[in-house]
Amino acid sequence: MELELLNIEKSFGDKKVLTGVSFKAEGGKACGLLGRNGAGKTTTIRILMNVFPSEGGQVLIDGKPIDYNKTKIGYLPEERGLYPKKIILDQLIYFAQLKGMSRIDAIKAIDYWLNRLGMTEHRTKRLDTLSKGNQQKIQLITALAHDPDIVILDEPFSGLDPVNAMLLKDVVKEQIAIGKIVLFSSHQMSYIEEFCDSIAIINKGVIVLHGDLRDIKRDYPRDRLVVRSQTPDAIRKDFGSVCSSTEDGGLMIHLSSPSEKQQIMTRITENYDIDEVKVFEPSLNDIFVEYAGDAPKEA
Amino acid sequence: MNQFGTILKFELKYFFKNKTFVGITIFFVILIAAVMFFPRIISVFESDDPDEGNTPFSTPVMLVKTEDAAKEDDVKKIFESYFTDYDVRIATENIEEIQKMIIAGVAECAFVMQNDTSFTYYVNNLSIYDTNAEIASEAVSRVYQMNAMINEGISAQDAADIINFRVSGEVVSLGKSQIQNFFYTYIMIFALYMVILLYGQMVATNVATEKSSRAMELLVTSAKPTSMMFGKVLASCLAGLIQLLAIFGSAVLFYNLNRSYWGENMIIDSIFNIPASLLVYMLVFFILGFLIYAFMFGAVGSTATKLEDINTSVMPITMLFIVAFIVVMMSMTSGEVDNPAMIVCSFIPFTSPMAMFTRIAMSTVPWYEIAISIAILVGSTIGVGVISAKIYRMGVLMYGTPPTIGNLIKAALKS
Repeated sequence: MELELLNIEKSFGDKKVLTGVSFKAEGGKACGLLGRNGAGKTTTIRILMNVFPSEGGQVLIDGKPIDYNKTKIGYLPEERGLYPKKIILDQLIYFAQLKGMSRIDAIKAIDYWLNRLGMTEHRTKRLDTLSKGNQQKIQLITALAHDPDIVILDEPFSGLDPVNAMLLKDVVKEQIAIGKIVLFSSHQMSYIEEFCDSIAIINKGVIVLHGDLRDIKRDYPRDRLVVRSQTPDAIRKDFGSVCSSTEDGGLMIHLSSPSEKQQIMTRITENYDIDEVKVFEPSLNDIFVEYAGDAPKEA
Repeated sequence: MNQFGTILKFELKYFFKNKTFVGITIFFVILIAAVMFFPRIISVFESDDPDEGNTPFSTPVMLVKTEDAAKEDDVKKIFESYFTDYDVRIATENIEEIQKMIIAGVAECAFVMQNDTSFTYYVNNLSIYDTNAEIASEAVSRVYQMNAMINEGISAQDAADIINFRVSGEVVSLGKSQIQNFFYTYIMIFALYMVILLYGQMVATNVATEKSSRAMELLVTSAKPTSMMFGKVLASCLAGLIQLLAIFGSAVLFYNLNRSYWGENMIIDSIFNIPASLLVYMLVFFILGFLIYAFMFGAVGSTATKLEDINTSVMPITMLFIVAFIVVMMSMTSGEVDNPAMIVCSFIPFTSPMAMFTRIAMSTVPWYEIAISIAILVGSTIGVGVISAKIYRMGVLMYGTPPTIGNLIKAALKS
């Protein structure tokens, strides 16, 4: 199964919110939807979920316009919200029924997930008696109980302790493994790097970067070297202005062209006491800041 | 449709699990039971009393002082025949002592006759229902008239016949008798008023709670806004109907259990003899009136970000409704329900549920006026429902300062 958003346009009043948003996500893989606050992520997700219509463009499943009666979507919103004063089991059944499940199927699925997330003992409690992390696990059940084809997780890890985060990671990996399309939105880049095969960075309503994460990293110009040495000062003196310090105490040497790489590496290893020298590969964090920063790079 | 059913059930369950809702209903049922059983309970106590009908200690004492001791017996007889609830006694004390006796509570009241045609009435606290002075003046004047006639040579028997002559007259109301239907119309209008305001607020609060708890974020992705809106409004309408049915149903039940004890109480009798056609009108106007207001309350609730905003947001709707209520109530008590204001109000959809219903109940309204009024109301209810669902759809995802109603309607019409 493949989900594709094609040239989605949306404005609220006079304000253009999305301009030609297009990206793809495949079943059995996770796609990271990244963007700064107010970039248009939630709007994109809402259009994808048919909360409101787009003014242009299409949402396609395997090349055909999506049929919301057939394709089920599970959503974990960033703004967590259920009924705080109501019994957990009651509201979980309600949401599953709204998604089209029968009561019996809903109870079966909810029992499975309560057990899986270690929440069975809380099923007859009121939601607001639970801790924030536990409430979040309940919220996760509303996104997964109806066995959706597309799982959209908006900041799923915020507020979880390391043990619960690990539990959630397992669940997400499991969902990916059974072929679901997982759409991930987070500002915690480490999680995106861990799960996502592809990313789409959205900035001010425009997709500025989209594709396979490894390809993006590989295609990055290989014109920087990271050097660790016991004598950094000597190297810094030698290279002058093209050499800068990195945050973790290493050195970064900017090459005038990627073809210089071999020659400079040889020069460093022959002349200095070197612990490590490698071509700089940007982290997702670096890529994000570069594309979604205040002076974004043109895609 | 399926979703709508799920939402309706869930919302209805909310009402029946709501302690306030159940509590209010039970409270009213108990209250009505207490009122309906009251005469029976009283009669139980009365029949337990061996001195039934002869309880000198509980009968208030009325003192009568005449200016002439010779007339004492006649006066006493006359007062006894007019004041059967009193223990009439002749007083020989002077006025100051009589006043002291009244203040001390030995006697309830006293009449001091200055001569055949004038008296002074003394009483401790004068109740607004106290008609003793009028009764006494009638009694005294009759005696005077009789004496005058006897003095003119008419026999005592003839004089009594002339004075006691009663004209027989009969009132036939070709339309409706306001005496009879005033009370049940009053009760029905009041029920309509209470239920619409109470449930309207509930709908608005309910929507705003979903929004402020952000349950809405998930709801909008799970269900259509129209299903949500209609499910909620119809659930509260049903809950309101069920509550009214429980309260009025228990009233009818308890009344029938105690019917014999109520005797010939005209008010109670008229309340429990509402014509069936009027009950049908009541149901029609109740449902339509409820829906049109509940839709508006729901739409307004969806625009509030915080629960605290609700009170100010619903103000215009509440005001509109209260104005309608006041117009209707004032027309009812003035006895002229077909005044121009009422006629206009009975065609405006926001006021017609109360105004037209009152006119139907208390006056004779041509069938076509009723049909036009209901048609306008049905059309407006559907229109308001559609616009409200659109406002709701926009409102639920909007946070921040609530937009003005004008802007909302404009935006809703545009979409």
